[in-house]
Amino acid sequence: MAAEANPNADIEALSYEDAREQLMGVVSKLEAGGASLEESLALWERGEGLAKRCEQWLEGARKRLAAARDRPAQDG
Amino acid sequence: MSEDVAAATTVPATTVPATAAETSPDNPWPLQLLSQKLRMHIDRAPSAWVEGQVIELNRRGNNAYLTLRDIDAEISLPASVWTKVLDRQESPLERGSRVVALLKAEFWLKTGRLSMSVKDIRPVGLGDLLARIERLRHALAAEGLFSDARKKRLPLLPHRIGLITGRDSDAKKDVLRNAALRWPAVEFEIREVAVQGNTAVAQLLGALRELDAHPEVDVIVIARGGGALEDLLPFSNEELIRAVADAVTPVVSAIGHEADRPILDDVADLRASTPTDAAKRIVPDVVEELARVRQARDQLRRGVTRLVDRETDRLASLRSRPVLAAPEVMVTGRHDDVERLKIRAHSALTMAVARAADQLDHLKAQVRALSPQQTLDRGYAVVQLTDGGSAPGTHRDVVRHPSQAPSGTSLSIRVAGGRFAAQSTGGQEPTDG
Repeated sequence: MAAEANPNADIEALSYEDAREQLMGVVSKLEAGGASLEESLALWERGEGLAKRCEQWLEGARKRLAAARDRPAQDG
Repeated sequence: MSEDVAAATTVPATTVPATAAETSPDNPWPLQLLSQKLRMHIDRAPSAWVEGQVIELNRRGNNAYLTLRDIDAEISLPASVWTKVLDRQESPLERGSRVVALLKAEFWLKTGRLSMSVKDIRPVGLGDLLARIERLRHALAAEGLFSDARKKRLPLLPHRIGLITGRDSDAKKDVLRNAALRWPAVEFEIREVAVQGNTAVAQLLGALRELDAHPEVDVIVIARGGGALEDLLPFSNEELIRAVADAVTPVVSAIGHEADRPILDDVADLRASTPTDAAKRIVPDVVEELARVRQARDQLRRGVTRLVDRETDRLASLRSRPVLAAPEVMVTGRHDDVERLKIRAHSALTMAVARAADQLDHLKAQVRALSPQQTLDRGYAVVQLTDGGSAPGTHRDVVRHPSQAPSGTSLSIRVAGGRFAAQSTGGQEPTDG
C-alpha cells in the first residue's frame, strides 16, 4: 500500500486542468469497478480531494473576476 | 545688328601677356583684348532650352524685351527677342504665361553689354505640364520611391502633429478643428508657408526638414485647399518629393480636392483626400476609442466568466456522478454482496439442516420400523435373560426357546409400556401355531 504519508498531498500543487483530468480518471476507474474495497476507498478519497482542488481554483477565479470588475480602471 | 568687327585695332601680340593670369598692374592687357576674349568665350557658349515664367513683356517694333523668372526660385533674367519669333506661336504669349525658351548669350564688344537673346520660345501648355508630371511620376515610381515597403505606419496616437499649410488657410482650420473634435488633447506644430508660386517649394522643404527633425513631432501633414493645376505644381516638384521620401517621420498628403493627385500623394505615407479627411485619419476619435476599449474589456470579462461557468458545470457534473456523490454505494454494494452471501449461506444451511432432519426422520422411521415397539404395542413382549449387565446397549440374549429359560431364571420382559423382571417357571414345547 502507499506509504503512510497522505498520498493525496500532491493535489495542492496541481493545476486546474491536471486536477480535473485526474478526477475524471478516478471516476472512470471507480465506475469500472473491479478495484478492491481498500483501493476504491483510496480512489474515492483522492477523487474528493481533486474535486475540492478544482473547486478552489474556480472559486478563486470567480473572486478575482469580481474583484477586477469592482475595481475601477486605474488609468483614465 | 552685328557689330562692325573691323573697328577693333589689332594689338601686337608680342609684348602682351598670353593669359589673363599673367596680367599685372604694370603689365596689363589692353581693355579691348579682354573684351575680345570675353566675346569669343560667350559666342562659343552653347544656347540652352530653359523653362521659366514670363513676368514682363513689352514689344517695341520688331524687337521685344521680356523677363523670364525661374519656376521654383526667385531668379529672373531679362532677354530680348525678335517679335517675329514671338508671334510664331498660335496663342500669343503674354505676362505670366509659362514658357520654354532657347536662350543664347550675346556680348556687344563696343559697349561691353551682355544680353540674352531668345532664339525660340514656346508656351508650356497645361498638357505639357501634366505630361511632364506623369513622366516624373513614372521615373520616380520606377526608382521605387512609392513602394509600399517604404510606407511608414502612422502612430495611433501622435504626440505632436506637424502641420505644413498655407497662411491662415481653410485647410489649416479644417485640420485643426476636426482633429480637436476627435481628440481634444491633440497638439500641433504648425508651419505656415507659401503653398503656390515659385517660393513654395523652398518654404515647403524648409518646414518639412525642420518638422522631420523635431523630436516630438511623430507625423507631418502637408495640407492645402483646392487650386488650379499650376497652383498645385510645387507639390509635384522632384526635390520636395525626394525630401518626403527621405523623411523619417510619416508624412500625410492632403492636397486640393479628391480629384487632384500631385506626386506628393504617391510618395506620402498616407494620402488623405482632403484636409478634413487627413484630420480624421491621423487622430483617433477619443469617444470611439474609449467605447472600443470598454467593449474589449466587457468581451474579455464575458469570455473568462463563460469559461469559469462552463468549468463549474463540468465539475458539478463530475461530482454528481454516483461514485463520488454516493460513495457509500461502494460499501452498500459490498454490503449487499455480503448480505446475499449470508442469505445464501443461511439457506444452504437450512437446507442442510432440513436435509439432515429428513435423514433423521428417515432413520428414526427406519429405527422405528426395525424397533419392536410396534409389535410390543400390539401386545407382544420381548423376553431377555438378565445374566448380562443391565447397562444399556449391552447385548442380552433374547429368549427364543424355553430351553433358554429353565425355571427360576430371571428374565427381563419388555412390553410396550416398558420393562419388568420375571422368573421362569419352566418351559413347554412350542405348539405350532
